[in-house]
Amino acid sequence: MKVATLLEQRRKNWSELEQLCISMARLRRAGVPAETATRFAALYRAACADLALADAYELPPNTVQYLHRLVARAHNQLYRSRRFDVRSWGRLLMVDVPQRLFHDRCVHVALLLFWSTFIGSALLAYYDPNWSARAMPDAMRQQLEENFKDPLGARPAEANLQMAGFYIQHNTSIGLRCFAWGVLIVPGLYETLTNALVLGAAFGYMGRPEVIEGTHFFEFVVGHGPFELTAIALSAGAGLRLGLGWIHTGGLTRMKSLQQAANRAMPVMGAAMVLFFLAALIEGFVSPTALPFPWKAAVAVFSSSLLMFYFVVLGYPGKAD
Amino acid sequence: MSTVNQQLDSTIQVITPENIAFEYQVAGPFRRFPAYFLDVVFRIGIEFGLFWMLSLFSIAVGSAWVGFWLVSFFLIGWFYGGIFETFMNGQTPGKRIFGIRVLTVDGRPINGLQAVMRNILREVDAGPMISLAIVGGPGLGIIPTGLVGLLAMAWNRRFQRLGDLVCRTMVIVEDRPWSHGVARFEDPRVFQLASYLPVDLQVSRSMSAALAQYAERRKFFTVARRREVAAHLARPLLAMLGLPHDTSYDLLLCAMYYRLFIADRKQDEEHAAQAAARLRARAHPGITFLESNGVNPFVSRPDVRDKGQIPS
Repeated sequence: MKVATLLEQRRKNWSELEQLCISMARLRRAGVPAETATRFAALYRAACADLALADAYELPPNTVQYLHRLVARAHNQLYRSRRFDVRSWGRLLMVDVPQRLFHDRCVHVALLLFWSTFIGSALLAYYDPNWSARAMPDAMRQQLEENFKDPLGARPAEANLQMAGFYIQHNTSIGLRCFAWGVLIVPGLYETLTNALVLGAAFGYMGRPEVIEGTHFFEFVVGHGPFELTAIALSAGAGLRLGLGWIHTGGLTRMKSLQQAANRAMPVMGAAMVLFFLAALIEGFVSPTALPFPWKAAVAVFSSSLLMFYFVVLGYPGKAD
Repeated sequence: MSTVNQQLDSTIQVITPENIAFEYQVAGPFRRFPAYFLDVVFRIGIEFGLFWMLSLFSIAVGSAWVGFWLVSFFLIGWFYGGIFETFMNGQTPGKRIFGIRVLTVDGRPINGLQAVMRNILREVDAGPMISLAIVGGPGLGIIPTGLVGLLAMAWNRRFQRLGDLVCRTMVIVEDRPWSHGVARFEDPRVFQLASYLPVDLQVSRSMSAALAQYAERRKFFTVARRREVAAHLARPLLAMLGLPHDTSYDLLLCAMYYRLFIADRKQDEEHAAQAAARLRARAHPGITFLESNGVNPFVSRPDVRDKGQIPS
């Protein structure tokens, strides 16, 4: 059979498949009628068969290229993105992730670096007024003093919400940046350490007895602090893991090693995201209210012990990888 | 396919569950940037729209709207791409408009986690950030240079930036399919020459691919260019088939293509008559066919023109 005759026979099917691709891209998945879907599947399989036999038919190259594109387009219409696989999240969150966190060296390093820098900077700022002046930009200190001038209860509620919104986006962005830049290790460490320094200096400065805004400040941060700061450190750990992936390959190709590191870093980052989300909830609904300090401190104690339980009790049973 | 140079055409082969291999064309930085730019414009548009809408609500909720706006600003900034790619099957609005799509490296659709992560890691790919202030310009904030992403793209065959490498994704071109079909010939001598070809004409795979490439593209060439391109194949063929050496190279390749891809011997007369009728209808007086006065009628004649051809 001549190619021209063959093309004449197939042309109708191919253009019908093309039309179906276009119309199905417009419809939502639920909106595609059953007969259209089966027709589409049949035409797609036929096009696949034509492409598979293109060499045997000795189709001209232009037509083969056309078939490649047609099949690719239909393939993407048929196999769609898998959204979020929510069902597997339960086991992931309660078993796999805590074990990974407990045994991941990069998480240890990041937690150690972040918290030691943070606490060191806070202590320095507490005992030495010059330190906070050097570590913290002036604009930031002025903004802090401005934000925490009045007791939380004495301010209009919307001003508190506005402040909570600002700190949610500010601190979560820090965490995401620590993660992203971690791929290149040095910028990631820089981001992590500078933020630990600045945040520590802010805490230490606010703790000084002569700073009257301090009490309001601690009233605001104590509730969500444990979640948010830990989440930043975890993001830094996940980023560090990614960065080590393409440097310390362990005998794999760099590409493979990076992908393996990504598999290990994703759950850590997922845990950090959950913590950021919880912190944001507390920050939006508990921190800016006029709740008495002991209640907020109780939230902090509860969230810290939750974290400990998660990391140690759930994490210990696994083995190091 | 052996005739496609994968390195040059930047195609990636994917094997489907239907057990056939098809090719994707990978999208490089110059296809992806316009789509990204459009997405940035959309994003800013959405943020402004929200700003405006929320500020209208400020009568009801007071200055708390600033807090809501900051949070949504943050969410849109970091998760715009991730959310759209999850729910629009690997495309953002910008990607849809420019016809590109994100897939995993083995050609399957991406999942939500991959979509979100590759967009968070864009932060790095856009870096390093520079400020015009360091070269004495106005300090209008920081400008992403995108050098990290470009370097990573140059480093691998699939043009993956760092975010793509980490999430095992790639961006491919999803064109409307090209045209297909067989070439048409206007010159009736093609069909007449075809009847002079051997009855048992057989050619190799690569030869028939070359003939098809030539015949389907020749309409974009001028007469002189056709002659130049066809000569390489036609000269040895003329010698092999025992045809006169002054036969038009272009005609010979077209005739062989016609014989191999379009029709058998018994349709030659019919096709030739049709083509001649078409030509006469377009008023080409003075064309006669197959004068048997000993002159080769198949030498190239610039007075018989194909559609769209400009004699040089």
